[in-house]
Amino acid sequence: MYSSIIFKEWLKTRRVFFIALAVALLVAVYVILSTNSLIKEHGIISLWMSMLLKDVSLVDTVTYIPLAIGLALGIAQMVPEVTQKRLKLTLHLPFPQSRLVVMMLATGMIELLVIYMIQMGVILIYDATIFHAELVGRVFLTMLPWYLAGFIGYLFVTSVCLEGTWYMRILLSLVGLAVLLVMFLQPNTMAAYNYMIVTVIIFICLITIFSFGSIARFKEGHQD
Amino acid sequence: MLNEQEPVISVKNLTQRYGKGRIIYSDLSFDVPKGRILGLLGKNGTGKTTTINILMGYLRPQSGECRIFGESITELRPETRARIALLIEGHVQYAFMTIEQIEKFYSKFYPRWNRDAYYELMRKLKVSPNQRISTMSCGQRSQVALGLILAQNADLLVLDDFSLGLDPGYRRLFIDYLREFAKAEDKTVFMTSHIIQDLERLIDDCIILDYGKILTQMPVDKLLADFGRYTFHTDSNAVLPEDQKIINPGKIGNEVELYSFDGDDYVKRYLETNNIPNSDLQRTPISLEDAFIGLTGKY
Repeated sequence: MYSSIIFKEWLKTRRVFFIALAVALLVAVYVILSTNSLIKEHGIISLWMSMLLKDVSLVDTVTYIPLAIGLALGIAQMVPEVTQKRLKLTLHLPFPQSRLVVMMLATGMIELLVIYMIQMGVILIYDATIFHAELVGRVFLTMLPWYLAGFIGYLFVTSVCLEGTWYMRILLSLVGLAVLLVMFLQPNTMAAYNYMIVTVIIFICLITIFSFGSIARFKEGHQD
Repeated sequence: MLNEQEPVISVKNLTQRYGKGRIIYSDLSFDVPKGRILGLLGKNGTGKTTTINILMGYLRPQSGECRIFGESITELRPETRARIALLIEGHVQYAFMTIEQIEKFYSKFYPRWNRDAYYELMRKLKVSPNQRISTMSCGQRSQVALGLILAQNADLLVLDDFSLGLDPGYRRLFIDYLREFAKAEDKTVFMTSHIIQDLERLIDDCIILDYGKILTQMPVDKLLADFGRYTFHTDSNAVLPEDQKIINPGKIGNEVELYSFDGDDYVKRYLETNNIPNSDLQRTPISLEDAFIGLTGKY
């Protein structure tokens, strides 16, 4: 049964998964080529100095990509589920409903994790060949909040899609927008969110509750 | 475990409203016995789909209690859900799957899955196993949904408006397969349809819903035997007086039509008592659709 649920989620998301992976890799390659070009133009020492003294991260192009991927994957996964109220079919499956929702969200988040790790891995492995480990660490901490924002965007968009009433959809969208605005207050400052990374991870765990709330309201008949 | 005599579906004093507004029905009670095919009939907006949504746990009723296989519908165990096959209005299925993928998907959930029953129907459709459901016609999709229901081999089948969007051939195919399956395997079926004439070939019992209440619940054979449509000619312009046992009298020109459960003698007495001149009074044979219109009215 677990494999069947994963199979269903994969069928819905595989196209977006591969497109998103391709986009993520292209952006990573672009970052590498841009960095190479800067090294050729200004020299590696100048680049190190810029990173240390001027907060130049060299990965700005990545900023909103994880969020866009999170939103696209959430939509691809949940829109087929709510179109023609297919959620009724899913909730009728002889499988504990809360575990079912966990499986659906976990599948989506693992797909995101794979894309994010590949993109981040390509960039950081390249950076490790030219920068000192401390600088690579700073690049990692600069990008981490963007990927966390991708998970936050995914979780909000899934709860909005699963929601049955426009009132709650708008409310959840506004809350999601507010949270994401906070996540991008200082997008290009290196390692600006270090002090709140743990808080954000805890917050991501908490907002999975929104999808459960949407399902519970659907089952009570709160549908426009 | 359900006792053999206990109904498969039991609905007690169900009350439901549209939001905080109009009452859909109040104190609705009915049972669906094991092995029977019961049709819930009613005009649009009388609460047929609402009842199915409540029974399947997609809508919390304002009051009342529903039990399926003896379990409250609010606490149906996954094992019990495995015994219930559900057809959603419009034959909705996972349209992003292919014929083969959807069979593979569902087969893992149901212990009594009968793969052959599904593929037998698919062979008749002459569709490729790799064909995506979203690319199929409504009729073909209905057969996929039916094939999945047959393969599930459930004890209770709940079908919401199976005839929606189907042409007569597919409706007939659906009904023939379903009836053969239900009768051969002693299945219980609870269904709604807006095309009443289809159900006459299929259902054993019917519940006819009007706005807010049940008009009648009985075996179809008994309904067709007891419920009479009477027509006669009259030259009188007088309005037909109200009588609790004379149902939905209507007059077009000088031709009158009325319905009653109380037989020829009662109708004759009604016309005599109210001094309604009449000629050519006759009781005409009726179909289930006639009975439905007779009970609910044309408007």
